[in-house]
Amino acid sequence: MAKSKALLLVAGLLLACLLSLAAGPAGFSPEVILNLRLPRLLAALTVGAGLGLAGALFQGVLKNPLSDPYILGTSAGATAAAVFCFLAGIERSSPLFFAAVFAGAFGATFLSYWLARLAGRLSDASLVLAGVAVSAFLSALVMLTLSAARERAFSLFYFVLGGLYAAEPAVLLFSVAIIAAALLFSAARWRALDAMALGEEKAYHLGASPERERIVFFVLACAATSAAVAVGGTIGFVGLMTPHIMRLLAGPSARVLIPASAAGGAALLAAADAAGRLVFPPAEVPAGVIMALAGAPFFMWLLWKSSRGRN
Amino acid sequence: MPALKVSGLTYSYGPAPLIRDVSFELRSGDFMCVLGPNGSGKSTLLKLLTGFLKPQGGHARLGGQDTAGLPPRRLAALAAYVPSETVTPYDFTVKETVLLGRTARAGFWRGYDAADEAAALKAMEETGMTGFADRAVNSLSTGERQLAFIAQALAQEAKVLLLDEPTSHLDLRYKAAVMNLLAGLAGRGLAVAAVLHEPALARLGCNKALLLERGGGYYCGAAADALVRENLARLYGLPASSPLLP
Repeated sequence: MAKSKALLLVAGLLLACLLSLAAGPAGFSPEVILNLRLPRLLAALTVGAGLGLAGALFQGVLKNPLSDPYILGTSAGATAAAVFCFLAGIERSSPLFFAAVFAGAFGATFLSYWLARLAGRLSDASLVLAGVAVSAFLSALVMLTLSAARERAFSLFYFVLGGLYAAEPAVLLFSVAIIAAALLFSAARWRALDAMALGEEKAYHLGASPERERIVFFVLACAATSAAVAVGGTIGFVGLMTPHIMRLLAGPSARVLIPASAAGGAALLAAADAAGRLVFPPAEVPAGVIMALAGAPFFMWLLWKSSRGRN
Repeated sequence: MPALKVSGLTYSYGPAPLIRDVSFELRSGDFMCVLGPNGSGKSTLLKLLTGFLKPQGGHARLGGQDTAGLPPRRLAALAAYVPSETVTPYDFTVKETVLLGRTARAGFWRGYDAADEAAALKAMEETGMTGFADRAVNSLSTGERQLAFIAQALAQEAKVLLLDEPTSHLDLRYKAAVMNLLAGLAGRGLAVAAVLHEPALARLGCNKALLLERGGGYYCGAAADALVRENLARLYGLPASSPLLP
């Protein structure tokens, strides 16, 4: 990436952080900034980085620009697992919670992938369809559970909706560690992701084992997604939009795209969270809703673009 | 030792035989065309040679090693393969694409070194793609894109080069240019095999020909012997007087 573009990304990230620290109906007192907004900014940065990273990994390893943790059902799987953990009384900061959320994310992703493969050749459309089916089913399960568990439904409802709140330090620390590890590991293995972006057959002939790379990057992307969901619930479209924006800025090679998507996702979600506090004060719009408002039209534009590219 | 030795290779997708008991050799300096009607297993044969498909009978040996037991990284160092379709939704530059040919040499845990850069530059020079280094592959014409992926295969520095329909969708000038390039590569010691759709093209430098019939029959021999009118007429089911035959 050219130096000027790297600077642009850093400036965007800083701007999003400043906006997030300043925005809100409670004014500018140091206590509000330090005790309310800073922890929340840290949560937004962590979740955004995890989702941006996961999006870049999924889009590369599947050679599919329409994929991200939200569309593939990864987030829905993680959310469903998290809700069941809450109801089962498993501590949010315990390793068991993170393991369960990861298992949910990985299981849902592989189910989508397997369903898409059933149709024969894996195509962009079959993967999106399978992801939608898996997501819808898991979301229905979550809603069913919430309806049954009335007394705790309200706080869980906000979790499912994708609202960012100051996370417990232990949860945040755990998530940061997982996302940082996934980022370092995938950034070191960037060339395998570029080979996969040329298609599995080409990747094989360049010397990569497609089956192994698929598992490796699914595990990394699911780990990043589940760490993000553990802090922020279901937030869509960060993973979809960020890599596309970063490709315009940094080019398609995973060498730069992986770290850029993590930084870009952090900036995007911090800005979305700040925007959610600014649109209807004193009410707050959850960051997940803001992202869907911006992301869904973006997804439609991508669909239109990819259909045009095929003809 | 031949660069590629195929013995008794057999493969089918269903009950009907596709590749049946095929044997041939490819040596350094050979340029072999693979001809045959649609559905005769030409592309399948290439994928069997690279180990992407596992043979149901027989062996393919690259540099004396059976492809069956080798991991992709070892195979990619022995044989490079250019698929018939090379589309990616992402805008990689020509140089990034060619450098990816170094995957098998560099592994996954280090960046490209000076030897990788040098191999990529040499491959782009050989294919005439040096001036396109910073262009996006998706913005190139079909012919230029084909050359970019041949350059990627050359950067792999394998002794065997396999190409699936490298001249399809190209205009006559590019068809001739690609055949010329491949003949030149064989001339400097590579063993080259290319699936072609037009027998006339094989006259541009091929010294060997493999004719695959539908249903598993085949003929392999010197191009001059194989590419006679009667053989080709029978292969494609055309009258011997057809103006399509060379």
